[in-house]
Formats: sequence, C-alpha cells, structure tokens
Amino acid sequence: MFEFHSLRVAELNAEIGGGATSVTFELPADLIDRFAWHAGQHVTLRFVLEAQEQRRSYTVSNPPGAPLRITVKRESGGLVSNHIADALSVGDRIEVAPPIGRFALEPRRHARRTHYFFGAGSGITPLFAMVQAVLTDEPESVAHLIFGNRSADTILFRKELDQLVTQHPDRFTLRHALSAASLWSWFSPWRQGHVDAQAVKAAITQTPPVAQDVQYWICGPGAMNRDLSSGLNDLDVPADRIHMESFGAAQPADDGVQGCAASAVIRLQDGQHEISVQEGQNLLAAIRANGLTVPFSCQSGVCGACRAQLADGAVHMRSHMALAEGDIAAGHILTCQSLAQTKRLTLDFRS
Amino acid sequence: MSKMYHHLPVEAYTTQDWFDREQRLIFSRSWRYAGLAEDLPEPGHYLSVQAGVNNIFIVMGRDHRLRAFHNICRHRGTQLIRAVGKTQKALTCPYHDWTYDLEGNLISVPDEETEYPGGLDKSCLGLKPASVDIWRGMLFVHPEPDAPSLVEWFGAVEPLLGPHDPAKLVEYPEARQSYEIKANWKIVVENYIDVYHLSHLHSNTLHMYDHARAEYGWKGPHYHFWEPPAPGYAKDLEQNLPSPRVIPKPHVGAWVPMLFPGTGIGASEDSWNIFILTPLGPELTRVENRTKLADASAWEFSKQEWLSSGFWKSFGGPKYSGEDVAGKEDPMASGDFTAEDVYACEQQQKSLASPYLEIGPAATGESPITRHQRAVLDFMDLQARQMGAGDV
Ligand code: FES
Ligand code: FES
Ligand SMILES: [Fe+2]
Repeated sequence: MFEFHSLRVAELNAEIGGGATSVTFELPADLIDRFAWHAGQHVTLRFVLEAQEQRRSYTVSNPPGAPLRITVKRESGGLVSNHIADALSVGDRIEVAPPIGRFALEPRRHARRTHYFFGAGSGITPLFAMVQAVLTDEPESVAHLIFGNRSADTILFRKELDQLVTQHPDRFTLRHALSAASLWSWFSPWRQGHVDAQAVKAAITQTPPVAQDVQYWICGPGAMNRDLSSGLNDLDVPADRIHMESFGAAQPADDGVQGCAASAVIRLQDGQHEISVQEGQNLLAAIRANGLTVPFSCQSGVCGACRAQLADGAVHMRSHMALAEGDIAAGHILTCQSLAQTKRLTLDFRS
Repeated sequence: MSKMYHHLPVEAYTTQDWFDREQRLIFSRSWRYAGLAEDLPEPGHYLSVQAGVNNIFIVMGRDHRLRAFHNICRHRGTQLIRAVGKTQKALTCPYHDWTYDLEGNLISVPDEETEYPGGLDKSCLGLKPASVDIWRGMLFVHPEPDAPSLVEWFGAVEPLLGPHDPAKLVEYPEARQSYEIKANWKIVVENYIDVYHLSHLHSNTLHMYDHARAEYGWKGPHYHFWEPPAPGYAKDLEQNLPSPRVIPKPHVGAWVPMLFPGTGIGASEDSWNIFILTPLGPELTRVENRTKLADASAWEFSKQEWLSSGFWKSFGGPKYSGEDVAGKEDPMASGDFTAEDVYACEQQQKSLASPYLEIGPAATGESPITRHQRAVLDFMDLQARQMGAGDV
C-alpha cells in the first residue's frame, strides 16, 4: 500500500552552506513500524505548489534506528528543493509516503563482506545510511567509500564521515575525488577528477578485498553509473554484486519509439478494471486518467514505485533504471516509462 | 567390541575405513586452510589445495576478488591446474584443451562444430564453484558454494586467539617446512593440545612459559589456549624476547589454539606460526609450518637478538643427556621441542596395533584430548545426518 501520512518537521539543518537541507521528521509511535526503512531506501513527499501536486522521492539519509531524515540538495530553479530550503519551518506538516526502494543494504550480523561505495554529490545520501548500517550492524564487514564532489566546500556530511573514520579506523576508509579542486585549498583529495572507471580500479587495487563476499554500491548521476558499471564489468565483477541507483536523473531520452492505443486490464487488490490507453500515453498516465489509484512517485523511472507485472501483451520501456535484469526477465515493468506495443495488455499490481 | 581409546575406538587411529570416513565427513565438509593471503598477490595468480576428497583451486580475478572452483574439467574430469601459478585470462585443460575463463565459464571447445555436430550448450558446462575467504591473513576454502561464513565457523573462538594481525607481519621463509609424522592426525592434534605433557616431554625446551597458569577451553570444535611467560622470562621480558614484538605492549604470553580440523596456530609476543595437518593415511600425517615475524628492519632484529642473547645462552637444553642418549640422532637429546613431539607421536602410534594396549585414565591436563575426540564424533554425526544416510 502506498499511502501518505502527514508528518511534523522536527528539525531543519542547512548543509554545505545552504546548498542542501536536512529535514528530520517526527514519527508518531503508531507509524514507526510503517516507516521502518532499510539503508538506501527513499520516501516520497507530496506538496501542492503553484496549484499543482508535486511528488519527489528523497533517500533517507540516516541508517535504520536513527531519526527519519532526508537531505535535499538545492537545484537551481528546482521548485520543490527550493521550497524545502527556503519555506519550511520546524513544526510544519508534510505529506510523506513510507520508505520503499530496492537500492537497499540489509546488514547481516554474521555476514563478513567487503562493501565498496562509489558516490557523487547528493548520491551520498543512501550511501551514508548504508555505510553506517554496515559499521554498526555488520561488525565483521568493511566499508570503503569513494566520494566525488566538485570542490571541498560541496562535500555533504564531511564532518560526520570523518568521525566515522576515527571511530572505525580498521573498518572504514574514505577517499575523496574532487573534479574542480581549488589549488589554494588546504584540503588535498585522494584524486583529482570524477569518480570514473580508473578511480574504481585504483581504489580496489589500493584496498583489495579481505572478506571475499564483495558488494559494490554506486550512486551518482546516470553517466557516472554507466561508466562505473562498465568499468566493473571489465574487471569481471559479476552483475549480481553491483547495486546501483541514479541520482539527479536526467530526463529519459525520447528514443522515438511510439506507443499505440490499447485497452488494458488492470488487476488491483480490489479487483479487475478495464481501461483504455491513448496513443503515445504512458501506462501510468492512462491508469490515473481512468481514475484508478496505483503507487507512483518519481515518474522518471528511478524510484520503482510504479512497477507492475506485465501478465499479457508487450510494452516498450523508455528507461528502467529502477529494475534489475532479473526483474525485467520476470516481466516487471515501470508503468511510468511504458508505452503499449500491443492492442491488448494485462497489468498486475498486486504483488 | 572394539577396544577404546577414551571416547574413540582404537580403529579410529589405525584403519583405512575410519580414515575414509573422516575424509568424507570432516575434511570434505569444513573450511580448509589453503595458504597465506600473500600466496595470491595479484590478479591471475592461482593455487590449488586438497580438501578431503575435493581438489579446489583459488584464482584472483581482475577485481582482486578470489574465486574458488573444484579443480575438475567438466569434460572428463581431468584436474585443470597444478599447484600454483599465474594465468592471464583463461584456464585450459591439458587433455582436450577445453578452456574456461576466470569466472569458471566454459568459453571454448576445440573443433566444436565437427566434434559436437548436435551442438553443445557451453553455458551448462561451467566449473563447479566452491567457497573461499580470507581470515586472519589465511586463505580458507570450503567445497560448497554457499558454505556458512567464516564468522559463523570461527567467530566465537576468534577473540581468544590473541591480538595478532597476521596480515601485517612478514613471512620468515627459512622457517617454512613440511614433514611427515608416522601417526594418525588425531594423535598429532592430541599431542598439540595435551597440556599435561608440556612440563614433562618439554621440561627443558618450553619452560619460558608458565604451564601451570595456562588458560584453555573450547568454543564449539575449536580449542583455545593461552599461558603467561614464566617468572624468570617475564622479569626482563622486553629484553628477553628473541625478536621484535609482533603485538603491542602490554600483551604477553603464548596463544596456542587448535582450530578444527587440524589447523594449529602458535603465537607469542614475537612470532606467529601455523601448524597445518593433512592426513595422508591412517598412520601418516603431513605437517606444514610457516612463520611470520615483525615487519622490522634487519637492524632491529639484530638488536633484539643481541639484547636477548644473555637469557637464551643459559636457557634449556636436551631432555635426555649422558647415558640416556640413544645415539647421535636421538630426538630426546635434540633440545628441539618439535623433534620431541614427533618422537612422542610416533612412539604412541606404534603401540596402537598391540593386543596388549590398554589406555590409562586421562589426567586433568588431558581433558582437551577427550574433548577433541568428542568434537570429531559430533562433527561426523552432524554431517552424516545432514547428508542423509544414503550418501554416507
Ligand atoms: S514512478 Fe518512479 S519509476 Fe515510475
Ligand atoms: S578432460 Fe578436460 S578437456 Fe577433456
Ligand atoms: Fe608438544
């Protein structure tokens, strides 16, 4: 179930000189279970701004057990991010839907793993939660974070990360890459430039895995993710060890594929509905236009909230960032990215 | 009714049948030491190890992660690789040149079209995976691809193994050796964990430690042991250590655990040693020793040697001397505790075949021996049950 709850803002903190804002929510006792999250998952916020409903997904930037907090980077011209940075006050109520997402690290007490984290910019938010989850709840495992930023003053959670290094010198390493490092800064990063395939190779060679159950977690802009995953492929890293989420998702390219008009059977918990899909309309839009309620959030193929099982027919997905290869093979689709390719479709939302 | 040696029948130490069952139920079903982490320094390096009835090889991929596979060609079973080596990208079987990549996928079959006109699904003919991990600087393999983690296996005993970080120490190659003992592997283990014998067999070789104050016990099938330095040694300990410290002050003592099955460690203030047993037959066991010392300069070693020479000059000597010595090669006159142990093990094994053998009561300091016998029985029982009677 994907429902919104009104949560009170308990704390607001400006990060990196106002370039980002951390919002901590108060969770009433009866919602604590409903809002339990795994490190890396995100919540969806709903605002009405300029008379329009706006939904955005933000990663929970704290590990499970800590207060529910998101950290939102200010986008220039970004309607919601600027609203959060400028207009919110402690005590305000915001509509929040419970955490979801498959980019999630579930620590296991008896696991003995080596985790490599590659992040850039605000892509640190899920990784920050994951690193802490590993350090506290997977005591035999090691975490290596390679973190890319433009310059030293845009590094989110810098102090907190340094503290983690001090607390866990044997289990946590932190390396910074700066793409526009100032010559005059006293801060000397591990590397100049972006976190790219070269950086990945260098990092792994420098700190090769001791525990041999190795996992790779990547969170940055789409281009970085693609570069890193192909870099890891070149090193023969098996795909099932690579976990990825893209941040600041660029608008999915219009790849020219057209959707046809179709009629679709939509299976929901409460029964079966027959709807019509307009030519060129994505399935999520068609479902909503027909007055049905299904979960969704980012509408850009990133969050995975709108997934369904394609039981019959064929669709074209513009992007499927939020799905793993296995999901796709199993017939999962992101309805917000899907265009009908056959005149009849059957979608199942019940799992 | 078979004759008993405490909890085990004497045949457990002498017969091929028991040997085979232990190979199947213990050494083929547990984590097996395979070397030191530095034996595989770079991508492409590999080594193979016998783990009970399984031969397993480990290879480092380009991502510096280790992969383990059963060393069996999927064609007709030929062992793919020998001992140790380095490859670029692929492993080719010597028999018909089937070739596998470092992920174990079968990537090429010579004359595929003509030899297999009906087609060949190479994707079903990958090497069978096994498990590998690194723990305290040592490589371990397990024949099953989803073996329980080393944390589950060694986690409880780990805090009792001493503050050593073997990965930071450096091997002393001159101390590396391998030799055979004409005794069952359990006889050798029992000797290793026999607290009673320390003050007797080794009365003149290991008395720098205070055996009376030893602390020992068990975590599951793993034995742990620690003893403090004896007063005479402890008095000027920093000066008396023969080589630079490998653990920080104020830690002192000797840690001598025996991890199941047959992986002994002997670690002290200034060295870290492993003692790996491989059963070769019911009455033959191979021992492999390797030693790591401090990562210190030659100068620091000579300085420490010189500082400690006063203590060691007057320390120890042979257990037997004068009239008791039987010839030039008598191990009991060697002043070397390993020679003393080997001698004791072989002398004990010789008697096991005698109809007049009757084992006397176990002393308090021998409680580890009876406990190890239980560990062997329990492990075999558990595995037999897990495998189901049919497979045993
Ligand atoms: S709504 Fe986020 S992937 Fe479709
Ligand atoms: S047995 Fe290996 S190629 Fe034939
Ligand atoms: Fe001994």
